[in-house]
Amino acid sequence: MSDTPATIKISVKDLTKVYGTKTVLDHVSFEVQTGEFLSILGPSGCGKTTILRILIGLLEPTEGTVYKDGKDITGLSPSQRGMGIVFQNYALFENMNVQRNVEYALRFNKETKDKASGIAENLVKRVGLWEERAKKPGKLSGGQQQRVAIARTLALNPDVILFDEPMSALDVDTRLSLRKEIKDIQAEYGSTMIYITHDQEEAFAMSDRIMVMETGKIHQIATPEEIVKNPADEYVERFVLQNLQTKVDSLARFIKVRHA
Amino acid sequence: MLNRGSLHRRTGASLILKICLVIFFAVVVVLPLVRMLLYMANADIVEVLTSNNFKKATVNTLLVGLITTAITVPLAYLLAWCMERTNLKWKGLWVVLISLPMLIPSISQGTGLIILFGANGVLTNLFNLGGSIYGMHGIVIGEAMYVIPVAFLMLSDILAYEDSTPYEAAQTLGIPRFRQFCAITLPFLRRPMVSVIFAVFSLTITDYGVPLTVGGKVKVLPVLLYEQVIGQLHFAEGSVIGAVLLIPAVIAFLVDLANRDRGSNAFISRGFDTGDNKRRDILALIPCAAIGIFMLLPVLAFVVLTFVTNYPIDMSLTMAHIEKTFRVKGDIYLRNSLIISTAVGFFGVIVAMVTAYLSTRMVSPTSRLLHLLSITCMAIPGMVLGLSYALAFKGTIIYGTLAILIMVNMVHFFASPYLMFYNTMNSLNEHLEAVGLTLGVSRPRIFRDVIMPQCISTILETFSYFFVNSMITISAVVFLSNTFTKPVSLLIAQYEAQSAFLGCTAFVSLMILGCNLVLKAAVFLIKRAINRSN
Repeated sequence: MSDTPATIKISVKDLTKVYGTKTVLDHVSFEVQTGEFLSILGPSGCGKTTILRILIGLLEPTEGTVYKDGKDITGLSPSQRGMGIVFQNYALFENMNVQRNVEYALRFNKETKDKASGIAENLVKRVGLWEERAKKPGKLSGGQQQRVAIARTLALNPDVILFDEPMSALDVDTRLSLRKEIKDIQAEYGSTMIYITHDQEEAFAMSDRIMVMETGKIHQIATPEEIVKNPADEYVERFVLQNLQTKVDSLARFIKVRHA
Repeated sequence: MLNRGSLHRRTGASLILKICLVIFFAVVVVLPLVRMLLYMANADIVEVLTSNNFKKATVNTLLVGLITTAITVPLAYLLAWCMERTNLKWKGLWVVLISLPMLIPSISQGTGLIILFGANGVLTNLFNLGGSIYGMHGIVIGEAMYVIPVAFLMLSDILAYEDSTPYEAAQTLGIPRFRQFCAITLPFLRRPMVSVIFAVFSLTITDYGVPLTVGGKVKVLPVLLYEQVIGQLHFAEGSVIGAVLLIPAVIAFLVDLANRDRGSNAFISRGFDTGDNKRRDILALIPCAAIGIFMLLPVLAFVVLTFVTNYPIDMSLTMAHIEKTFRVKGDIYLRNSLIISTAVGFFGVIVAMVTAYLSTRMVSPTSRLLHLLSITCMAIPGMVLGLSYALAFKGTIIYGTLAILIMVNMVHFFASPYLMFYNTMNSLNEHLEAVGLTLGVSRPRIFRDVIMPQCISTILETFSYFFVNSMITISAVVFLSNTFTKPVSLLIAQYEAQSAFLGCTAFVSLMILGCNLVLKAAVFLIKRAINRSN
């Protein structure tokens, strides 16, 4: 986070989503600071993706309000919100090459129309895909495809970027390098990031704060340190800390052998 | 809240489009059928159903259906197995030959059989064959030729997508071949096989082309319907027979619907490794070559009959049959066929693509209704659809024009192209439109720039499907065309009983085959060019 006094970028009040008789989100409220990296951590079906879809405007909440920079944006269309989203399965335009994927949306915007290819070229270089710029997504690895998706999102210069489990389909090596890349981008662009994951370790490694969810409710929202020191309840203890402990235990064996 | 409007407006436009399409399908599918069913009131239903002709025809129809299905499905499975599980030589050639009957009208199979095996047939004379092709066995052979390609392609598709890992697991466990077949193959085949069996049975019992030509004294229901309406203008009696024909077709449709595998092919872990087995590959050649060549025989016979003065008496070459075909306006009817087929392809592709888009990528209760209406087209036999149209649209502005023929063919052949688009669009990433929205790119633009370009090969395939089927169909159009709008395929039905015109009907079959081959070749080349550029 920056040194300037924290300002609130996103504020969510009493968000509720009901499908028929099923309540997916139950009066969820939280705030995200400008430039913060917030992870939403929870098992599948806990409502984390629903929050993301409501934040970006792909889904209407049954109740509740979303504020950005203090303004109610609940009724705005997704493109009016100044947010970008990166999906788990990339959702690239398979019929366009890397460069065209990044540049496509810019061509529909009056301000960026003329500069589209220049902006896209820089972004393609930035995510390290210059050599691949003429290839179509089908010819790229999963990690490369996700870089294209990130570059495409950055093209419109959003100040908030949402990630919907962007690494679930990637192997461990790729995950580690992409983790770093995302954090670097955040530092460089000063973007606010909201990052959905079910991987406890990922959340702890990347986040300023973590929001732990289960079945439509928030159990705890705090810094990783705070969660370790003071887990809010038995669920956080079990789902977050015990799982992490298991990983740490196996790592401990590795360290023992390595340094023996 | 006032500022929530934008979301509602976005869904509003698509809802209007969906409702328009639902109304469209109601007018072109449901309304005509209801009209026909109501029209039955003008007939003495009991008299029609208890008449001797009807009872005999019903028994004959069921027999033809059962025998043909029993012969066709195992044979088609054998052929498909040879294609998918062996390293058979010249696979492409055999596939083309076996699929040949899909490019000519069913009635051509009948005339082909007469030319080959009739009293003065090419093969009858060559091998001094006795007996007659006319009758139940003639119908079954003709229908088998007509439906084998369909069953063969369906089964090839099924076998191509079978997972090999259960077999590998079974091998490591030492389970014998026959037990593998019972425990893995049969359960895997059960569901798709039901679809194939019902498709074959439906096609067979609703066809009138083959039985009209080689049936002789054996009448089936579609022929009875044809005679009632075309011969005697008994529309009411025709409606009753039409309604009866609708029953098995609807049952087949419902069974197929309930049976359809909802699982996706996305979980296939491994295809089959055909391995090396020379003896097997050579053995596989026998059925594929035998059936392939048999399918080619009628076509060869058409060539002979077209260019020979009077087979087998006068074997001198002549253009007389071709000239005669043009004298009876064969060229104009061919033009009709080409116009109809091109238009059906054009409009059919657009409607199928848009409908599939709405039902796959904008899911709502209305789109599920749209989906159901779209696949319902499959359940209606062509003749029944044609008769319904004749009753429903008589006196309207489109009656007696090419437009009604275009419309009826489009509805008749709608379900398969729709399902092809449905599968293609379902397989595209679900978030494309969402990404577009967040990037400020509207749905129509994403459709144009992202969805459509990824459907190119489906567009080509469905166009070809609409075109080819409209070229060869004789069922729906028979009750709706007149001397100005007649498609060329109906010339064969018109002259089938006149031996003086055998040369003409042979030539017409060749013309239809020629057009379809040209189109298929064009589609093949375009698709190859696209694949290469990717």
